[in-house]
Amino acid sequence: MSFLAQTTTTTTVSGVTFPTLVLTAMVWSGVIFALVALFLPNQTQDQLRRIKSLGSTGAGAALFFAVWAVETQVSDASLGTGGIPGGDLYEQHSWLSSFPITSYYHLDVDALALSVIVVVSVVFFCAGLAAWRNQQHVKLLTVCLLTLETACLGILASYDWVLFLLFWTLAIAPVYVLVRAFGHGHKARAATRYAATSLVAAGLLLLAAVLIAFQSGQRTFDMGSTPVTLPGNGEAVAFWLITAAALLTMAVVPFHGALLDLEEDSTGVLSAIFAAVLPSIGAYTLVQVAVGFFPTTSGSFSLLFAALAVVTVVWGGLGALRTDDLRRLVGHIGTVLMGLVLLGVAGHTTIAITGIMFLLLARGLVIGVLMLLASLIQEKTRRVRISQLGGLAWQAPFLAAFWVLATLAAAGVPLLAGFAGDFFIFTGSFPAHRWASTVVLAGTVLASGVLVWTAQRVFFGASRDTFARVRDLGPLELIYIGILAGLIVLIGVVPGHFAELFQNGAGYILFPGTT
Amino acid sequence: MPTPNGLAVFATMLPTTLLVALAAVGGLLGWLRPGLPASFHRWLGAIALVGAAAAALVAFRGIALTGGVGLAAYAGGVVADRFSTFAELLMCGTGLLAILTSGAAQERLGSRLPAYNALILSATAGGTILAVQVEMGMLVVGLGLVVISLIGVVAVEKTAEAPGVAAFRSLVSAGVALALMLYGLAIVYGATGTTNLAEVRGQFVHTAPLEGLGLALTLLGLAYLVGAPPLHHWMLQVASASGGAVAGSVVSLAVAAGGIALVRVTVSGFSATMHPWVVVAGVLGAAGCLYPALLSVVAGSVRRLIGLGACLQGGLVLSALVGSGVGRDHKPAGGVIALLFSLVVFVLAIQATFQAVARLEADGFGGSLAGVRGLARRSPMTAVLLGLGLAGLAGLPPLGGFLARLLIASSAVAGGYAWVAAATAAASAIYALMVLRWIAAAFVEDDESAVVVPSAPRLASAIGFACAVFGVVALIVAGPLLYAADGAASVLR
Repeated sequence: MSFLAQTTTTTTVSGVTFPTLVLTAMVWSGVIFALVALFLPNQTQDQLRRIKSLGSTGAGAALFFAVWAVETQVSDASLGTGGIPGGDLYEQHSWLSSFPITSYYHLDVDALALSVIVVVSVVFFCAGLAAWRNQQHVKLLTVCLLTLETACLGILASYDWVLFLLFWTLAIAPVYVLVRAFGHGHKARAATRYAATSLVAAGLLLLAAVLIAFQSGQRTFDMGSTPVTLPGNGEAVAFWLITAAALLTMAVVPFHGALLDLEEDSTGVLSAIFAAVLPSIGAYTLVQVAVGFFPTTSGSFSLLFAALAVVTVVWGGLGALRTDDLRRLVGHIGTVLMGLVLLGVAGHTTIAITGIMFLLLARGLVIGVLMLLASLIQEKTRRVRISQLGGLAWQAPFLAAFWVLATLAAAGVPLLAGFAGDFFIFTGSFPAHRWASTVVLAGTVLASGVLVWTAQRVFFGASRDTFARVRDLGPLELIYIGILAGLIVLIGVVPGHFAELFQNGAGYILFPGTT
Repeated sequence: MPTPNGLAVFATMLPTTLLVALAAVGGLLGWLRPGLPASFHRWLGAIALVGAAAAALVAFRGIALTGGVGLAAYAGGVVADRFSTFAELLMCGTGLLAILTSGAAQERLGSRLPAYNALILSATAGGTILAVQVEMGMLVVGLGLVVISLIGVVAVEKTAEAPGVAAFRSLVSAGVALALMLYGLAIVYGATGTTNLAEVRGQFVHTAPLEGLGLALTLLGLAYLVGAPPLHHWMLQVASASGGAVAGSVVSLAVAAGGIALVRVTVSGFSATMHPWVVVAGVLGAAGCLYPALLSVVAGSVRRLIGLGACLQGGLVLSALVGSGVGRDHKPAGGVIALLFSLVVFVLAIQATFQAVARLEADGFGGSLAGVRGLARRSPMTAVLLGLGLAGLAGLPPLGGFLARLLIASSAVAGGYAWVAAATAAASAIYALMVLRWIAAAFVEDDESAVVVPSAPRLASAIGFACAVFGVVALIVAGPLLYAADGAASVLR
């Protein structure tokens, strides 16, 4: 029996052949560190500090391997092999060969996955730093965060349905436990609602996986060969099962309530992770799996996606305008940006899909910064309502500066990360959906206006005595916010670093046979 | 099938004979020499089970003489094949877990521990008969031995009124189940003129309504053992009333024996292509998954939650049966492989959760949500064991239960019963959500009660943890287990 027998790629260094394990190391480093943390004592401050260090090291290790994976693919992009599956990072081992439907331990990445992998690994690393001040349930927080990171990275790197579903469902328990442990307000309801939504999505994906495995006649759970051809209306059914699961997770209208509740009822660090990472996973599922498996079918429903994009952006913009809660506002902005992803899917062109990759990269970083800053503002001022805030720029200039930077990035200002995504999506979608693109653009402008107005209301105006003792960002906060903000600027200044990679990836998603 | 009879009798009946003989020896010694230490009886039982497992493996070597087909004895009434080897090993393993964890029940059982161990051995022996039988008479004997022994195991715990009541109710349910099965078998016999299950499928020219009724009644009776509705109440009673160790042993042995009997009778006997029983299995399986999952929403104690989880596993076992034939592409749907893999995983999850219940009892905690609240702080190891066990029952990753559900759903869809797969997925999601609530209560919510030093027996706790950990390992190294299950299933096709 060839159980776990190495079947494919190897790396040769100085004449010695090593199996390629970058993706395995990236995915599993979190859970390995979590297992170590699980068995460490947690009574004294020193012991708690050790657990926190371990958590940061685990997230750092995942980040290291993620950067390795990204740079490997970027360097291969000019050769035409970067950004598409089957490159240097490809890993495939026999796993469930005795069952009538075979399954493999198959890890691989394409450009879209890499864009979200960057977000996941950076946001989790920064969240680990942000969690340093936490003194409650330290071990639980560390273990759950590392497990959640493994689950998220696993979803993005899986090229087998069993693995994909395994990681998908693995993400549910840590989120549920984290919200129950560190949430406030209606935390039980928020956690249950999110878990129920994710379980429903997992069920839909399971049915899609089984349908594809049987109707394709391949009898395999492997996700490596695209596009998938199914007889009858099988393609449409499988496409909509996957799309429904993705939409549930992307927090687009009308499924946005669960994530907004989750963000509102969690602590700052968790809100940042949930807002930045979880919808991106849904977007990845929609574009990579649903569109990538069924490019023709997805193209035929393009008008529906355009309509959904319009509804999501307008609804999200109006929600942002209406809310008086800072974190909920950021949540609505996240929803608006997801509407842009839907417009990109509706556009169904290589340019639009390239734009989605840029947008997901930017969105994760921007929403992560905004959510962390929103939480810091609420924590430092002990005010939740925007209407209760004002004049904070005098006491906290760094806080204000980072907020303005993130606001501009979210608005798609050139030389910041958000620009490339917005530009490519609108350019790629406008020819096919002129009206929808125009309305979505208007909705995006509305959302950007709300963000700028919020910056005005929160940071500018006369200094208030109530906030005289509010302190600006400390050294630790400057580090983790600075990392995210630095990346927003860096990607904005040199988007060309990823351009070729993303173009290759977009071409592979829409025209897999020809790339 | 070739029948070199001496070898065949040896191969088919040696494990059962060993178990029955050593059960009798243990029981007699307990009666004649009441002063013998509990550990003596425990190790006697363990030796019997290891011996029976070794005998099954020896028989497996003997099967090679038939080119891997199998050995038949007593006019084809019993067979030793790769399925029987797998099933006997599963039964012996389950019995071994029950015997080794009996230390946790020692306080409740007192001087009745030898009887308890002897009954576990005889229940296992009943399971080994079910593994080798292909004849209605042997089926009834095996099933009767399992049922009576397990009811005896529940009844022997006489320290409280509840177990006695549970035993009595189980007896009544068992009577109904056996009656249903006997009526069913009688109809099948009437229709086919043979009591040999291997010959039944050949005799069914067409499945008239009456014959369909016979198949359905047989299935309904057999479903009792795995705790699937409508005869599932006994399992909930036992889970709620008996001690953790006793309940774990009874439920895990019942699920294992029930699963084996279902495969032998339906797949091997009736054939997976015979439509009526597959539809009934689908209905029972879907109901068996959804009903306990919905009840779990209002479960007020961890014992009831586990009991409902065990019933849910029974529903999953029945759901796997609908994929025991071939798919629309005329290739095996893999239901039996999924079922056999699931049985191993379910037995371990059930044992782990009930060992956690035994630790809760030993630590003096109640099983209500309030009692479980803050458990991770008061008794971390119990909380971890409970969490892993419940996660295993709910099929949460990274435990083997997740893969079991996925395989069952896949095989159901392959068999053309997507609605059964949808029901199992929905039930699993509902139950998982409820389990998450309890896990969160144990790990997240605070309780000011004092931290306790665990007082549960070390061996029983170690076995419980081993079961929970193997739940994770079963997913990672699912390949070899599926390979073995595939080998066992191949002889039934």
